[in-house]
Amino acid sequence: MFLRRLRPPHCSVRAFHDVRSYKEDTRWPGWQVIVGIETHAQLKSRRKLFSESLTSSLADKINSNVSPFDAAFPGTLPKVNSKCVDLALRTALALKCQVASRSLFDRKHYFYSDLASGYQITQQYAPLAKNGELELEIPNLPPIKVRIKQIQLEQDTAKSTFNSRTQTSNIDLNRAGTGLMEIVSEPDLRSPEEAGIYVRSLQAILRAMGTSDGNMEQGSLRCDVNVSVNKKGEPPGTRCEIKNLNSVKFMMAAITHEVHRQQDFLQTNPGLSVPQETRGFNENTFETFHLRSKEDAPDYRYMPDPNLGALVVSQSRIQDIRDTLPLLPAQRRAYLLRKYPALQMKEQSLDVLLKVDNTRDIGFDGEDARGAVEYFEVLCQGQDIPSRRDVHANTRDPVFVLNWLTHDLLGQLAAHGQTFSSNPLTPYQFGEILDLVKDRQITGTSAKYLLRYMLANPSGDNAIDTATKLDFINPVSVSSSSLSSTSTLPSSSSHEVPSDLALEDPSTQNTSSSVINSSFTSSSAPRTSNVPPEVQAFCHQAISELPNEVEVLRTGKSKGVLNKIVGFVMKKSRGRADAIAVKGVLEKLIYDSVRDDQ
Amino acid sequence: MRPNVVAQTRYIRRLSSRRAQAHYSTQQALRQQLVEPNATVNAFVNLALSPKISQQTGRLAGLNIAVKDNIATKELPTTCSSAMLKDFVSPFDATCVQLLKSSGATVVGKTNCDEFGMGSLNIHSIHGPVVNPFDTTDPRSAGGSSGGSAAAVAAGMCDAALGTDTGGSVRLPASYCGVVGFKPSYGLISRQAVWGVVSYADSLDCVGVLGSDVAISLRVFEALCEYDPRDPTAAPPEIREDAFAHASTRLSSLGSEMTGLRIGIPQEYFPKELSQEVIEPFRQVILQLKEQGAIIVPVSLPSTSYALSSYYVLASAEASSNLARYDGIQYGSYVRPSPSTDLSITANVYAQSRSQGFGAEVQKRMLLGTYALSADAFDNYFLQAQRVRQMIKNDFDRVFSMSNYFSDAVPSDGSFTAARQVDVLLHPSAIRTAPSLSINEKVEADLSSYVQDVLTVPASLAGLPAVSVPLGKYESAVKGDTRWPIGVSVVGQWGTDRLVLKVGRLLESLAK
Repeated sequence: MFLRRLRPPHCSVRAFHDVRSYKEDTRWPGWQVIVGIETHAQLKSRRKLFSESLTSSLADKINSNVSPFDAAFPGTLPKVNSKCVDLALRTALALKCQVASRSLFDRKHYFYSDLASGYQITQQYAPLAKNGELELEIPNLPPIKVRIKQIQLEQDTAKSTFNSRTQTSNIDLNRAGTGLMEIVSEPDLRSPEEAGIYVRSLQAILRAMGTSDGNMEQGSLRCDVNVSVNKKGEPPGTRCEIKNLNSVKFMMAAITHEVHRQQDFLQTNPGLSVPQETRGFNENTFETFHLRSKEDAPDYRYMPDPNLGALVVSQSRIQDIRDTLPLLPAQRRAYLLRKYPALQMKEQSLDVLLKVDNTRDIGFDGEDARGAVEYFEVLCQGQDIPSRRDVHANTRDPVFVLNWLTHDLLGQLAAHGQTFSSNPLTPYQFGEILDLVKDRQITGTSAKYLLRYMLANPSGDNAIDTATKLDFINPVSVSSSSLSSTSTLPSSSSHEVPSDLALEDPSTQNTSSSVINSSFTSSSAPRTSNVPPEVQAFCHQAISELPNEVEVLRTGKSKGVLNKIVGFVMKKSRGRADAIAVKGVLEKLIYDSVRDDQ
Repeated sequence: MRPNVVAQTRYIRRLSSRRAQAHYSTQQALRQQLVEPNATVNAFVNLALSPKISQQTGRLAGLNIAVKDNIATKELPTTCSSAMLKDFVSPFDATCVQLLKSSGATVVGKTNCDEFGMGSLNIHSIHGPVVNPFDTTDPRSAGGSSGGSAAAVAAGMCDAALGTDTGGSVRLPASYCGVVGFKPSYGLISRQAVWGVVSYADSLDCVGVLGSDVAISLRVFEALCEYDPRDPTAAPPEIREDAFAHASTRLSSLGSEMTGLRIGIPQEYFPKELSQEVIEPFRQVILQLKEQGAIIVPVSLPSTSYALSSYYVLASAEASSNLARYDGIQYGSYVRPSPSTDLSITANVYAQSRSQGFGAEVQKRMLLGTYALSADAFDNYFLQAQRVRQMIKNDFDRVFSMSNYFSDAVPSDGSFTAARQVDVLLHPSAIRTAPSLSINEKVEADLSSYVQDVLTVPASLAGLPAVSVPLGKYESAVKGDTRWPIGVSVVGQWGTDRLVLKVGRLLESLAK
């Protein structure tokens, strides 16, 4: 337990490997750029890495989630939060790392006010996972493999903000002790753009795994970048580290500036190598600046943490995590296409769904986040309606669901400046709307009104009641006994249920689904007989109130005018009428009268 | 109000006023029992002058227990005998203090100690040295670092006391003061009770018990022996049970007389510094044990001579880490830097507070520890010391008949080989009797104060249970020094705490 073999920290001799062949870059012809990235990703755990306190969001009141341990009160001890370990293991497996069956914690010492105990607990010598890889997809080029050197668990520090007016530092301990994963890449990147793709790919993996928000702007993902340049064919140059880059854009700009700076140095100082140093990045000038040179590098006096024993990870635990590993974005897409082959014709909508899904809020401790894909799947499988499963034989047409979800629900949310994460409709509520449309209890137009209404007035009310309250229920509908008794609408039980779908249904815009196809074929037959007397009355009203339009039609000058008259009827019926049927009735009324005239 | 109710109420009132009187007189008694003797002994640094009267139930009901000042209490300050923490009051009670209270004990006050537990004579304290109560006319050291706890028990100021033992800090003062001092197995109770103990060297720190006899020490130990899932290093219940089961099987096979108990005498525990006044009584104890039917086995623990060096490197390194938080900003008294200080260098801000807040001994150890952890020295000092520590553990594992359930090594089948043959080890607790306080200036100048720990440190490094039991009055080879207490230590394999205490009780009975 007390014996361990050590490698010197930050081994300075870097054996050069040529995993990548030289490729000319017009910005710096004749020079090779080598980049490695250390990423700190905040674990999306409910509690901190070594204490019981909750993790915080930026919205939390300062110093509100602080336990005595986080504040380093004398006598407090750390205890590993196994949820954090599981999240890190998920990440490690997603990055194809070898997980250490025994890893150890070490203390890294430095005096700073954001570090209450005077040391950070990290995994310097025996990290949780090693030797992984991340494959980068580059458009129109073969993918690039970036080797992951190691993943280690460590504590985040407190947040220190300097008030220049009072000349004081303010410390917020909310962040202190939050779990971080440090993900270290090998120096396998060769340009600022590749570095950007690396970070974005890593971000996507972290989010897909549900292990981190990966949000650079909010600081849940932070990057330190190691950059060196060398002349083509020569061994790598001395690297400089640029610390605390908090956006992909800044990171790429920092690398670009650093390449030029090092290139200039080497050209003006032939025979010398770039002095090893740590640099910062100025977000206003887009330049890197000197922080400290190698000689000033602090001695962190790493020491094995005597309170935390070895972190032992059993093979069965690794296997459990591997078995329940969430799908990566590409795997997820393939999975959905396999499961719902009909979506192959709807790949654009599917990509919209996946994109929206990727912006979902990540659940705590790797719990399933209620993303758009899950919402979609619940609806497709009819899992929202356990009590009504018998009615719908527990599945819905995926194309129909996808259309309504991506066009209407997301469209309405976007129109109100909202994202899917703020969607107030439960799958049950939205599923009801879909079923009302499908059963032709309401028209597509009504459904859109209903959707808009329910989004604007969020409540737990079910869609049928809301539709009834708003008089949206199609007068021709008879299929639901609960609807036929509404007093405002005359009972239409004597009418035959139409066999087709409402015109306004966006799903009719495509022809990929057999359901839709059948609706089109059946709609070719006239169906004016289905129009209830109420709507018939609206049609007569339209003809009498829009004499000019009717006249235009009768003379056959413009067919487009018909839509205006249909619109009048639809408005009168508050969207409840079946537009195709109305059109039929109107045509009949108008042209028949023309024939009569003749 | 109906008459019987009135009568009842009156009765209750009378009863409660009687209780209040009892409470008052208890307090008075406590004051007398504590305040007056403390003026000379200086065992207590803070007294709970109106302690909650102890419960009538619980396994420690009615006991007055003192707590070392590096153990957090929310009602009394926790100064660690340091200027750094002179005003510090913890927001929580340490687990061991909670357990004392919930078991019905009264916490009577906080006891003096060496600063942050660093010292062997209890002379490095902002509250001044503890005077050994055995004879205050000739002021002698009470031993350290839990000197206040040992002295409080020895002076009869409390029934028992909690101390902490990092390298002998419970056993050494117990030996000097003539009381029982028990350090449990590391990770058994020690670590669970250690939540709330201000860290000195976590890989060694244990909460120990000081008591007037073995029976009361055992009682307190049992009360603290509850698994606390908060403690990361507490031994998991299954390991504890395995070890307990093994130990109790051996214990029952020995019977009440403990005939056939195999006692190892480690030959390396008789260094040249060991004084004659200790060796002679120790020999007599061995003879007595033999007469009782014990089997005395000479054993060798060859790495012992490296133990002290290993201990001081490791403990100092951990101390330098643990004490980093006392910088005058996070914790500790803040010393305003002088106007000429360059405040752009962070270290300058901290340095002033740390230079003034820490005593000389603490500073010395932190410097040593910081050096041992520096990149250049780490391999040769810290890692080397860890290797030595493992050798010392291996030494012990070779001689004990029982396997070490707590070690990472796979436990062997426990077969009774020639080498692995003893139930417990026996050795003197200290190289001498309590040293005089007046010569401490001189003692401090050389390394001999560190030699005080030479016999206690190995068990700490190996995490083994050890108890120091006072010997009775023996004829001494050195004339005129017969009176001062001598302690003898019993050390057992990890998890054999009850066996060790049982042997302690046997020694106690011999002394009577």
